Amino acid sequence: MTKPNEPMRMLAPDSFRAVLSRRALFQLGGAAAGVAILAACGSDSSGGGAATTAGGGADTTAAGGTSDLLSQYSNVVNKASGNLAMFTWGDYNDPEIVGALADSTLGVTMKVDYYPSNEDLITKLAAANGTSGYDIVVPTGPYIPQMLQKGLLQKFDKTKLPNIVNVDPQYLSRDWDPTNDYSVCKDWGTTGWIYNKTVITTPITNWKEFMEATKGAGSGRTSWLDSSPNVVGPYFWQDGGDWNTEDTALLDACEKFLVDEIAPHIKSFDSYPSTAIAEGQYDLSMAWNGDARQAFARIADAGGNPEDWVWGIGGPLTELWMDNYCIPVGAPNVEGAHAWINWLLTPEVSIKDLLYHGYHSGMKDIDKLMAELAPDAPRVDMIFFPEDQVANMRTGEVNSAQDRHTAILDKMKVAAAG
Amino acid sequence: MTAAAHVPNKRRWRGPKWGLAIPSFIWYILFFIAPIAIIVVYSFGTKDSSKLVPVDFSHLGFHNYSEVFSKLFFDVFSGTLKIAVFATFLCLIIGFPVAYFIAFKVSEKWRAILLGLVVIPSFTSFLIRTIAWRIPLSANGEFSKWLQDLGLISAPLDVLGTKTAVFLAIVYNYVGFMVLPMFVALDRIEGSLREASKDLGATRSSTFMSVTLPLSGPGVVAGIVLTFIPMCGDYVTATVLGGTKGLMVGALIDSQFRGAQNWPQGSAMAVLMIVMVLLSLVVGAALVWLARKLLRLGRPAIDAYRSRPRREPKPSRFPDLLQPLLGIWTFLVLLFLFIPIFLVIRHSFNGGPSFSVWSGKYSTVWWGGAPGRTASGIPMIGLFKFDEAGPMLVRFLVIIAIGILLPLIWRGIKGEPNRHLGRWSVLVAFVIAIVVNGLSTDWYLSIFQQAGVGAGLRGSFLAAFGATIISVVIGGLCGVALARHPGKWSTVMMALLFLILVTPEIMDAIALAGWMQRLGGPFNSDTLGIPFGMLRLWVGQSLYASAVVTLIVRARLAGLDGALEEAAGDLGAPPGRAFRQITLPLISSALIAGGLLSFTLCLDNTVISSLISGASSTFPVALISATKSEIKPFWGVGAVVLFVMTMALLAFVARVLKKSGSSSGEIAATLGGG
Repeated sequence: MTKPNEPMRMLAPDSFRAVLSRRALFQLGGAAAGVAILAACGSDSSGGGAATTAGGGADTTAAGGTSDLLSQYSNVVNKASGNLAMFTWGDYNDPEIVGALADSTLGVTMKVDYYPSNEDLITKLAAANGTSGYDIVVPTGPYIPQMLQKGLLQKFDKTKLPNIVNVDPQYLSRDWDPTNDYSVCKDWGTTGWIYNKTVITTPITNWKEFMEATKGAGSGRTSWLDSSPNVVGPYFWQDGGDWNTEDTALLDACEKFLVDEIAPHIKSFDSYPSTAIAEGQYDLSMAWNGDARQAFARIADAGGNPEDWVWGIGGPLTELWMDNYCIPVGAPNVEGAHAWINWLLTPEVSIKDLLYHGYHSGMKDIDKLMAELAPDAPRVDMIFFPEDQVANMRTGEVNSAQDRHTAILDKMKVAAAG
Repeated sequence: MTAAAHVPNKRRWRGPKWGLAIPSFIWYILFFIAPIAIIVVYSFGTKDSSKLVPVDFSHLGFHNYSEVFSKLFFDVFSGTLKIAVFATFLCLIIGFPVAYFIAFKVSEKWRAILLGLVVIPSFTSFLIRTIAWRIPLSANGEFSKWLQDLGLISAPLDVLGTKTAVFLAIVYNYVGFMVLPMFVALDRIEGSLREASKDLGATRSSTFMSVTLPLSGPGVVAGIVLTFIPMCGDYVTATVLGGTKGLMVGALIDSQFRGAQNWPQGSAMAVLMIVMVLLSLVVGAALVWLARKLLRLGRPAIDAYRSRPRREPKPSRFPDLLQPLLGIWTFLVLLFLFIPIFLVIRHSFNGGPSFSVWSGKYSTVWWGGAPGRTASGIPMIGLFKFDEAGPMLVRFLVIIAIGILLPLIWRGIKGEPNRHLGRWSVLVAFVIAIVVNGLSTDWYLSIFQQAGVGAGLRGSFLAAFGATIISVVIGGLCGVALARHPGKWSTVMMALLFLILVTPEIMDAIALAGWMQRLGGPFNSDTLGIPFGMLRLWVGQSLYASAVVTLIVRARLAGLDGALEEAAGDLGAPPGRAFRQITLPLISSALIAGGLLSFTLCLDNTVISSLISGASSTFPVALISATKSEIKPFWGVGAVVLFVMTMALLAFVARVLKKSGSSSGEIAATLGGG
């Protein structure tokens, strides 16, 4: 099922592929090499739950001597069966992982649907109220309390998620779910922009310049994210302000600015601009770092020159968002959902997925993992950010201003149509 | 819609007049009126996103309505209306000559072929056809580069994400719905009327003006209604191609419900949209009435003008030009209709990872080769370079040529033609050519393994099949009742049907999703082996489809004399038997037409299906969600598979009709929903 071109598009370095194949990672019951890593998955087919922690055995040295690091992680893989339906963000998993590997490793057939915003996800779950048919959803952290309040999410059976210990503690126990009873970090990222420097000749280094470019050289050829916090955020970040403000006067000013001054210049509200960039629709796009990273591959696929395009991270302040795996109430395949989430928390699968979607997956010691599994991954500067940049990133809150945010985006859409 | 013919009131039917419509009434009250009523109530509430149903009812009022009348939203409403009116007008202008040409200017055989060609594109997934327009319109696409090479444009095309793109695609998507009813109306005009007009000395143009045009009136009206209403509520086209500039009411309402979580405002907008559509139809009808009135008042003057002494009309060269001109026009329109189909087929073989971005290479893993591996390591030269289009074309043509020549050679040797060889050899050669060229590999091989696509295709067919059966049964009965037993109730029913046709899909979707969950029972858990998701799809898709079937059956019967049933009744046949032996055969073609139309409508149903059913339940549901990220070429493959299966079904029906002795024109008209 892998297409000839997909290796290129995965942006995975050859070294990683070599590591993967050498370890015979996904071949169940394969030859001696690597079996230890997946011992659990071979033997634990009874489903059950409790962790049979694998790895660490002496056999692993046979795998090529690089597995000391991996053996420090929990590598439990539980089997499941049937269909597994995931409702998630666009292009958010390596197609190989949701396709052939989920089938051969977990024993489930995946169906994946996509949404462009948290509101979209919530509407679908709320309208169906437990009958949506999805087993896994991936909301952004601040939306979790609202979803809990509406009774849309169910509690994890944590005995089935032993690999949760692999997650860096700083990405656990967040405000929205302090005990991680309902959610666990899938990955996190930030918001910035990507532009065609042959058209937008003045470099963009902060949100103010981004706004100027939207109104100026990029007018009518600019896309913003189709997600309300993301359109409101830059207005406040450009002056180092608090994007979670509930002050109505500030929000009024924000609305006025965005609706009157920005909206008429916007070509599309597009949460995944990478394909449209390759088609030649935009010269400037607000984008999440992973999608912007995929854009470079797609531009090359379409015969364009990726060198013409520049990625920039928001400043002086910008966003830090974290998406989380959750299980909705009424999920038909709860067993499978746990198995999937737990599997994605094994370091190798996590890194393989990361190389596709391009977001920090929250594994502990991720730099060491990358150094071992994918030392020459391209454009890692779009995945991992130095401390000083992370220091400028702010997490969102869902508070009384949320309704206002959605109303602002709504008005912007209408004003943009004008 | 055509008015019911006068039916003498001498019935043997003993029940209430609306007896046959009882299933429809129950169905619509249960699955349309009740859920929609709840949504209409929402429109008086206030948004409260902390609740499961995000509506607060403590302060009921009209504030949502007054907000819609603010300048912002009002602009979108008027913009949509403008697009719909212009696009309908354009469809009329484009479609009328085509319908006229097919109805009067070609032989019986060509008529069937041409009508088939008009109908076929609409049997390809609506969604994929719309998405396919991204290919030629894209700034970095080949078309844009050709235009630049020719010097026609200086900068890359900048059409995607504009009103122009929406306008183009909307005209494209609906022009077929305009041609068919017009053709059916024109086709019913007795040739003798036109002959008579000419015999009486009328010129071609005056025959056209005073005979053909007035008689085509009902078809034009039907065409306008069939195109204008769905255009107003169109969600797919604007979302896929529009960007911000192409925002239309359907998409705006959708974003109220989904993006903004503002259900009250969304439902207020939906109510206003329905009012807007109804009002504009009323205005349209009034204008037509006025025009007729004026024409009648001005009649004497026109007649006087017409009968002014004139030179004997020279045999003009105009008629000679008319036919080829119409032919060229029809050809161009057909070409236009097929552009996206060709693109979908080509891009389903795309060697690159994206559907809309053509890689310049065909996907050519040798047939049977392990997916993911390139062709065997043997270096290939010339004709055997498998990933180049040129040699591939040569191979393709050679094999097809062999297929064509084989029967001829056979005849040369044996002296007599071989029937089977003649019938099958080209087809077999075609299949071989595809396989040898590796075309059917890769995306095609993997289609049923792709998450969502295979299951979506199966789901689409099952859902459309069930919904069609429901629609044909309740719609057929109701259509008979409307045509044969009209009364006060039929006004109510017609109003209801009309309401179903004009209600925006997203409103139905939200209403039904909540309502079915509330109804529970078989809608929440699998009962009698029927998955509840499937049951929901059957019900949800049957609403619009059954309304269409009802109208078709009613129109068909209204055009037929009720005397046969009368006679059966007079001869003592009980109503059941009269229905079985007389009415059913009379409406069978309408039932088939309605069934086919509803089948395709159900196959294309996107918005309702995506909200009421589970994950990737049908092909369009999975595809619309895939448009949120990169669209892979296997979606094109799915569309082609869907298309081939639908065409097979269509061919089967055409065959059955042919056996029953209908003329090709009638068959085509039947298939087209006349």
